[in-house]
Amino acid sequence: MEESDSEKKMEKENLGPRMDPPIGEPEGSLGWVLPNTAMKKKVLLMGKSGSGKTSMRSIIFANYIARDTRRLGATIDVEHSHVRFLGNLVLNLWDCGGQDTFMENYFTSQRDNIFRNVEVLIYVFDVESRELEKDMHYYQSCLEAILQNSPDAKIFCLLHKMDLVQEDQRDLIFKEREEDLRRLSRPLECSCFRTSIWDETLYKAWSSIVYQLIPNVQQLEMNLRNFAEIIEADEVLLFERATFLVISHYQCKEQRDAHRFEKISNIIKQFKLSCSKLAASFQSMEVRNSNFAAFIDIFTSNTYVMVVMSDPSIPSAATLINIRNARKHFEKLERVDGPKQCLLMR
Amino acid sequence: MANMDSDSRHLLIPEGDHEVNPGPMNIQFDSSDIRSKRPFYIEPTNIVNVNDVIQRVSDHASAMNKRIHYYSRLTAPADRALIAPDHVVPAPEECYVYSPLGSAYKLQCYTEGYGKNTSLVTIFMIWNTMLGTSILSIPWGIKQAGFTTGMCVIMLMGLLTLYCCYRVVKSRSMISSVDTTTWEYPDVCRYYFGSFGQWSSLLFSLVSLIGAMIVYWVLMSNFLFNTGKFIFNFIHHINDTDTIPSTNDSDPVICPSARSSGHPDNSSMIFYASDSELQQFEKWWNKSKTVPFYLIGLLLPLLNFKSPSFFSKFNILGTVSVLYLIFLVTWKAIRLGFHLEFHWFTPTEFFVPEIRFQFPQLTGVLTLAFFIHNCIITLLKNNKNQENNVRDLSIAYMLVTLTYLYIGVLVFASFPSPPLSKDCIEQNFLDNFPSSDILSFIARIFLLFQMMTVYPLLGYLARVQLLGHVFGDVYPRYSGAACGLAFVFIYPSLIYIISLYQEERLTWPKLILHVFIIILGLANLIVQFFM
Repeated sequence: MEESDSEKKMEKENLGPRMDPPIGEPEGSLGWVLPNTAMKKKVLLMGKSGSGKTSMRSIIFANYIARDTRRLGATIDVEHSHVRFLGNLVLNLWDCGGQDTFMENYFTSQRDNIFRNVEVLIYVFDVESRELEKDMHYYQSCLEAILQNSPDAKIFCLLHKMDLVQEDQRDLIFKEREEDLRRLSRPLECSCFRTSIWDETLYKAWSSIVYQLIPNVQQLEMNLRNFAEIIEADEVLLFERATFLVISHYQCKEQRDAHRFEKISNIIKQFKLSCSKLAASFQSMEVRNSNFAAFIDIFTSNTYVMVVMSDPSIPSAATLINIRNARKHFEKLERVDGPKQCLLMR
Repeated sequence: MANMDSDSRHLLIPEGDHEVNPGPMNIQFDSSDIRSKRPFYIEPTNIVNVNDVIQRVSDHASAMNKRIHYYSRLTAPADRALIAPDHVVPAPEECYVYSPLGSAYKLQCYTEGYGKNTSLVTIFMIWNTMLGTSILSIPWGIKQAGFTTGMCVIMLMGLLTLYCCYRVVKSRSMISSVDTTTWEYPDVCRYYFGSFGQWSSLLFSLVSLIGAMIVYWVLMSNFLFNTGKFIFNFIHHINDTDTIPSTNDSDPVICPSARSSGHPDNSSMIFYASDSELQQFEKWWNKSKTVPFYLIGLLLPLLNFKSPSFFSKFNILGTVSVLYLIFLVTWKAIRLGFHLEFHWFTPTEFFVPEIRFQFPQLTGVLTLAFFIHNCIITLLKNNKNQENNVRDLSIAYMLVTLTYLYIGVLVFASFPSPPLSKDCIEQNFLDNFPSSDILSFIARIFLLFQMMTVYPLLGYLARVQLLGHVFGDVYPRYSGAACGLAFVFIYPSLIYIISLYQEERLTWPKLILHVFIIILGLANLIVQFFM
């Protein structure tokens, strides 16, 4: 089938030229030798079945949806996406608390495997759900497992499908649920977001998550600002490579469109999908007209940069040289931090 | 926790209809879910308003546009996941229609609110839609009912059908829980009667569409036959009114049904010297045996048009036909004069009594003559001032009643009764004029063309409804087609009673009145079969 081929190709692109061991197996199992000492950390995307995780993953990571999301059953197998995210993170998708008792047994027996080496737990709540007690119960059991196996993990709660709630009620409902979740999560700390795939909140939530996962983000922003001022750019954006989520940005004057980050991300992801159909991979892009010139290019090993110049008289070559030189500087910046903390390292 | 659960239940907007079944998903079959094909915005430089003012698109709409384009790339075409639900798509005012030539048009009707027709236009449209081929049968109906009774029955039926039409228009406003802005009356029936309502509406409309197609076929063969005969007689200078009882002046009126028994039914025998040529013509141009088949040759190509919108351009022919008929009737009345005698209960040789017990045949004709209940909601939706809907509807009904009365009374009154009996008035009053009469020849031509353009529309509607029934849940939208007799009286009254009962506002007088209307409707239907 064409789609699964492209999906595999895209995942290959994300993985880079090396092979990666299957996730979930503890170290030392059956013949796989890790090429580096840092263990692949996981991002767990969990939630009740039907809460929108598969759609969310497809949208954020530009994967084709493997099957119709209005299917009758829960996600049957564990979704090892093998999507590389922020360096050495891999996304795992789990259904929590479906009606499937087989699923539940598997879950309870494999608990330790699942929750070990977790960097981030993203738990998705469906705002429409009628079984709040049950949802909270499953959430709490996940937290217990996290506390036991990966106590340093960051917890994020997404209150999803908010477009189904009337606009004037959204803030109220979100605040109530956030209080409950904060209370339940103690001693762990959780950050809550309200999201919907039909507006910008999903993108913003995931951008915030990514932003919180970067340890040296302030330094990154300062360097980005210096870079922008030197090359006289109107705006400079730093995107995460797999998802085109904005990690940081600098703008020298107020921009009209507040939705532009998400739009660019969607446009490029759509373009990447088209490229993958031709077994090509997207590397760089230049868009130019009489009013502006924009450059999108690979930056460091895990980021893309977008530079917008409003002075079209500056030749492209000059800007591209600047970007190339900046690249070296930023890569050095990444390697400065220790191997354990920095997520942007290979 | 439990409180919040019940609170959230009230606050949640119900999502779209999960049970819409798109039908078989293959390339040849168009998905009935139009949400997957929603048009969207394009670059501002390409947007042209009909008034040539460049419009900007809001950032929110443009972001949504990009989002939807991107999401649609994530799924296969047959996959329905990630299709934008209705409540997130921008309002119609922000939507643009994309022209393949590269520009986009912001539709005027969206920017100015829903309806843009003035009252006058709405009234005219209702009048135009309601006047149909039943106009040809009104004089016959008056004859069957008796003159006085006929006039009273026409006015009463007009009032009754107007009230039921008013009920139809008001029926949507009694449903408060669901958004009914796109609903037509069959949707309301389905809401109250469930799938029984849906299937019975479908059945009634199919039955009457097919009935209408048969009636149209008969009329068209009739008109074609007479037209052909006229042309033949004109070329060969034949006068064929000799053996049929007719009047002897410059405006002949014939009585086709009173013939000596020797002659076959639908062809007129003419005794002439050189009649071999004539007999050939008679053989090949027979009203019941051959002309209906020639009609197939004329109509089959028309029926194969995929979309009926081409034919709706010929709508004007209908109005012209009606106006011409009015002129024709007036002219004939002036030439023939009035011939009225009032006998209350006893028939005479030339006249019919004023009160006859065959009046239900008139009510049968009138139920179809006053029928517009299945599309009145759509017609009134485009009215600029919605609060005038009831007033405009009443005015339109009054005009239609006057038109029918005018034609019916004039034809009946001017029918030359001393030589011919009033009983001679045919079901199609044009049959009472010989084929050599020029004025009625023109009327037949007009009507023939008009019916030829409406017939494909009927065919299309019947086809759509059959296909919709066979292939999926596409609920058919139709207009202008006659519906079952019971549909006009029973459904509006029943629905009104049910909705009042649900709101606990049902009082005894209202109940009795509406049950009486239902009984009238049933009786009307049943008695047709006994006449």
